[in-house]
Amino acid sequence: MPLFKLEKKPPRGPAGKWDVVVGEQLCKACGFCLNVCPVDVFAYRKTTNKIGWFPMYTAHEENCIGCMLCYQICPDFCIDVRPKGEASAAGSTSAIQASTLP
Amino acid sequence: MNHLATKYLRPSQIPTKACHGCGIGMIENWILQSIEELGLKREDVIFGTGIGCVGRQTFATWGGDNFGATHGRALAIATGLKLAQPDKKYLIVVGDGDAASIGTSHLIHAARRNLGVTVICEDNMGYESTGGQFSPTTPAGYVTNSSPYGMVEPSFDPCDVVKAAGATFVAETTATQWHQTVKIVKKALQNDGFSFVHVRFPCNENFGAYALGTRDTLKNLEWIYEHTQGRKADGSETDFTWETGIKHDASNSRPEFTRILRDMNARVREKLGGGPA
Amino acid sequence: MSTVTTDTLVAPWAEWQERFTRGRRLLEAGTYALTEGAITAGCRLFAGYPITPATDIAEYMSKRLPQVGGYYMQCEDELAGMHACAGGSLGGLKAMTATSGPGFTLMHDAYGWAITNEIPVVVVDAMRVGPISGITGAPGQGEFYVARYASHGGNFETIVLSPSSVQESFWLTVDAFNLAERFRTPVTILTDQVISDMWEDLFVPEGDDLDFVVPRRHNLMMPFYPLASDALDVPPNIIGQGTGVCVSAYTHTEEGYDIEAMEAQWAQTYRLVNKIRHHRDQLTRYETVGVEDAEVIAVAYGAAARTVKTAVREARGRGVRAGFVRPITLWPFLDELYARDVPYLVCELNYDGQLVREVMRSAPDKTRVHFMGKSAELHTVAEVVTALEGVARQGRIPELPYIWTQVR
Repeated sequence: MPLFKLEKKPPRGPAGKWDVVVGEQLCKACGFCLNVCPVDVFAYRKTTNKIGWFPMYTAHEENCIGCMLCYQICPDFCIDVRPKGEASAAGSTSAIQASTLP
Repeated sequence: MNHLATKYLRPSQIPTKACHGCGIGMIENWILQSIEELGLKREDVIFGTGIGCVGRQTFATWGGDNFGATHGRALAIATGLKLAQPDKKYLIVVGDGDAASIGTSHLIHAARRNLGVTVICEDNMGYESTGGQFSPTTPAGYVTNSSPYGMVEPSFDPCDVVKAAGATFVAETTATQWHQTVKIVKKALQNDGFSFVHVRFPCNENFGAYALGTRDTLKNLEWIYEHTQGRKADGSETDFTWETGIKHDASNSRPEFTRILRDMNARVREKLGGGPA
Repeated sequence: MSTVTTDTLVAPWAEWQERFTRGRRLLEAGTYALTEGAITAGCRLFAGYPITPATDIAEYMSKRLPQVGGYYMQCEDELAGMHACAGGSLGGLKAMTATSGPGFTLMHDAYGWAITNEIPVVVVDAMRVGPISGITGAPGQGEFYVARYASHGGNFETIVLSPSSVQESFWLTVDAFNLAERFRTPVTILTDQVISDMWEDLFVPEGDDLDFVVPRRHNLMMPFYPLASDALDVPPNIIGQGTGVCVSAYTHTEEGYDIEAMEAQWAQTYRLVNKIRHHRDQLTRYETVGVEDAEVIAVAYGAAARTVKTAVREARGRGVRAGFVRPITLWPFLDELYARDVPYLVCELNYDGQLVREVMRSAPDKTRVHFMGKSAELHTVAEVVTALEGVARQGRIPELPYIWTQVR
């Protein structure tokens, strides 16, 4: 099975039950999460973050199938994938993206 | 930061000094999962690191007590420290230079003594922090900053060295084997003895640039993936394959070093106490 | 001509040996005394590598430490030994290592790590003659400067003490551990093959009331490294109590992680240098004989001091008003001992001249500082008396076989 799936497929099975939170101020734009993801969740921002990269963000959280590959492959502790409704340090995507993360 | 990083890491050190696409952060993320799955708290674990990319990028990220040793000497310091603080879990996170080159003597003797620490040897197959010179684990023929005509020195696998020296847990994974690494680090931490986990990971800036010809993060991680599988994307064979998995598991079969000394002390003091006045 | 001279000893144990008279009286070697001094001071970890003439310390420690619940570690080499001592001290154990010149050189990386992280460790360097490995079993004093500059990078001060008898080896070791705790730094005991191997009267005090030992305490709160502060008696940090302390070789913050900033560089250096320089009064230890009315003053430390002191008394008997200065604290160097404007005769066990350079720097007239270097054997009393007479009467040392007088 290939590591990176450049072609994104629509989700098979339950989707949209996961909060996908990206710490955009920590992201160094390596591209692993976007490319390892089997469905279409991530995209690059058009403006840079505080450390000078165009960070990843959660563009289509509703497609997430909870495979956790992005969480495992991120080298910068940026991504949290938690079941929706579960109290977690991650919080919801919109709330975190509205704030400035450390 | 993700929830484990929030729980265990030092916020002032995140983002780390690592380059983009570097494998060190990935491996640390998996180590945090192992720590959490074992129910360990910050104060239960001590991190020891060295010099070089792995040493410097990891140092001070851990939120609890940690030390950054001189080059190659993390295990020497850990030997003294474990005598003073035997009940903690030790994660000695070092690179291939620190463990398999300058620090190999201490690696061998810590394994021989069965010192109760877990060494995570994160191997990017060269001295990448100083620009990309070759190391004792650089594969044969590869071009690096100091092997411009190709690596001609034979390389070795530090797993073989520690196994021969008496390590009680030896395993190898790569940067595309997250589930295996989490499970293996958990097992390694549960060995009250010397555990050695060897993880190969990609370097984009130096090894990628000079040996593989690209700084593309996807291509370099794929190179790791191919050499883990033994097969390239087009189905052809790779020039070599890493043998991954648990190579030797004699966990908890031999007494741990500081336990040996403490037992000896108890015997000596008992004899003194029971002897003639 | 006055043959009565005043002996002065300035050292904390001058008072300790008055107060503590209950204990064992033995005939023992300097290495034994060093070991017992360490154990009395609370040392519970020895990590080193056997090397002549310090091997006996390792052997005694291997026997004594398990008896008191401590650990003897025979490391794969000296640099592992010093690192293990630093690690053990960081974990809460008072630690010591013992070596000779070849091993001391290997310890420099670790010594620097202990300096920059303010970790108390006692390091014994039992010198022997050089260059390099020289003659195994012959005395030398070739690490005078090396002990001051025991690591790379500059920007630090060191504390170095040197005993001159078996009894002094005992007390001075306790003192070294105390200074290591109070100053949060490694302390070097520069002894030599003669003082290590010789056998003399030794008194070892016993009892639960030995209040001259500074106990180990730990710092559990920020700042772990009080930068830009010269404060003494800051307790050492500890790994293993969940304080979150960071320990490394780099220029660091008060928390201990590395930072590349001029402010941190200044503040850290300020602390490492001035915690010692600003408290030199706590580090003054020396002995003098007959300096008040001296017309020539002999200077020596360690084993060399034994015969030189005897020679000074002999010379007095022959009409030379000779005086004697024995620095016990070698570093920070006690400039004030050489303030008198008289000729000095510096007797050292090396030919390249080390102590003599510091005396030349400190004395009012460096042209009247004479070098009497000898290697592999102690200066004989007759040689030193001849030299004292020569310096006092003719202003120079007469030619003597195997005595080196050139400094440049």
